[in-house]
Order: sequence, then structure tokens, then C-alpha cells
Amino acid sequence: MAPKKDAKAPAKKAEPAPAPAPAPAAAPAPAPAAPAVDLSAVKVEFSPDQIEDYKEAFGLFDRVGDNKVAYNQIADIMRALGQNPTNKEVTKLLGNPSADDMAHKRVEFEGFLPMLQTIINSPNKAGYEDYVEGLRVFDKEGNGTVMGAELRIVLSTLGEKMTEAEIDALMAGQEDESGGVNYEAFVKHIMSV
Amino acid sequence: MDCHNEECSRPQEEEDIMDIPLDDPEANRAAAKIQAGFRGHMTRKKMKPEDKAEGEERQEDRGQ
Repeated sequence: MAPKKDAKAPAKKAEPAPAPAPAPAAAPAPAPAAPAVDLSAVKVEFSPDQIEDYKEAFGLFDRVGDNKVAYNQIADIMRALGQNPTNKEVTKLLGNPSADDMAHKRVEFEGFLPMLQTIINSPNKAGYEDYVEGLRVFDKEGNGTVMGAELRIVLSTLGEKMTEAEIDALMAGQEDESGGVNYEAFVKHIMSV
Repeated sequence: MDCHNEECSRPQEEEDIMDIPLDDPEANRAAAKIQAGFRGHMTRKKMKPEDKAEGEERQEDRGQ
């Protein structure tokens, strides 16, 4: 039962990969491995206007002029389009590529759309409350602020670690005189862009 | 950090730092979500003024 009902997308990919093999592969195959996510089964449901917006953003990232973008740009394009994927979600969409693949493999717009659709469709997307609650954990005094220094450490040691430069850019102007961050205001600021 | 005595008073900051749950999958998952939101925000913020510059740049690159 090939899910080929989507006539819009040119079936440039080979037949969709069969169900994931039950036994874990002994050696990671360098060949075009089946994507961890079956993108060919994703129903792309964007309006023509949306597609045009997406195409424009996509084009901004194409530095080579081949109407494609590198794997390592995909996360940023999605962010530019209002999404907040984790790096892990993106690498999974790309089929868990090697570092070399990330830098050199490219994907064209049509291939990008189902990836974007997957991220847009994903449940558990974080909202204002999630961010606030996440930061509240570090509000030791229960006064609505977290220590900037502590937040910096958390961001650089947990989860998908951020670099010092990223953290500096993020926190610029957010700490008060005593180095505290009003996290509700901080989250509102984050969500405003 | 040689304090074995519970009553030992350590500076608040040191205590907090030692509290960071490096191995806790829940904490890491929560952190990753927050970081994803932060990264999204920063990319969008960077794109804003860049929008115009990018447009011009593009024309130059494509040799008009």
C-alpha cells in the first residue's frame, strides 16, 4: 500500500521505505538510509500564499543559487518561519545525517515542505506557560526572578547546550542591576518575535 | 565544598550550581524546549533588519 495519493509532490524519492527493520542495524549504512520520519507520507497542507512566503524565506538561505539549501540551514529556515524546532527534531527529520552530510547535503524546496509540515504538526509545542514554568524551577526565592548567572549555566550545560555567544545575545539587556531576570517579562519578550 | 555537615553554610550560588540536574532526562528535555524557543527567537530577531539587506544582497549575487 504505497502512500502515493499526494499527486502534488513530485515523487522524486525512491519508493517509500518499508517499515523500520525490527533488528537494529549493526553498522550505520552510509547509503541513503531510510529517513527516521517517512516524509513521503506527510500530507502537505499549505495555502498558495503560505507556500509563496515559505519559498521566499527558503530563497534567502540559498547562497549557492541552486534552489536548494544545506541540511545545516534547515533549522534556521524553520525558525525564520516562526517555528521552534529542537535540533534533535530536525536531525531526525533529515534522517540522522552525519556532520559531513549536515554541511554538504542539500535539499530543494519541495523536499523541505514536508519537513516543515511535520514540525508545524508536532504536538507538545511549548507556549508561554511552558517557558515560564520551566524557568520558575530556578526561582529560588519565589519572587519572579531567576539569577542571570544561574540561567546562563543551565543554558550552557543542560539540554541542547548553547554557546556563550548565543547566551550573551539572548540575555543582552535582560538582567537587572543585581543580575536577576524577571522571567515572565523575559518570556514575553522572547515570544514577541 | 568539603562540607559534610548539613548545617554548613555555603554561599547560595554554589549550592544552586551544585543543584543543576545534569543527568535528569526530564530537566534536559525541559531545557531543550526552552532553548529551542530561545533559538527560534534569536534567528527571527536576526532576520528582521537583515531582511532588507538580504534582498539587496540577493540581487547583487544573482548579477541582477
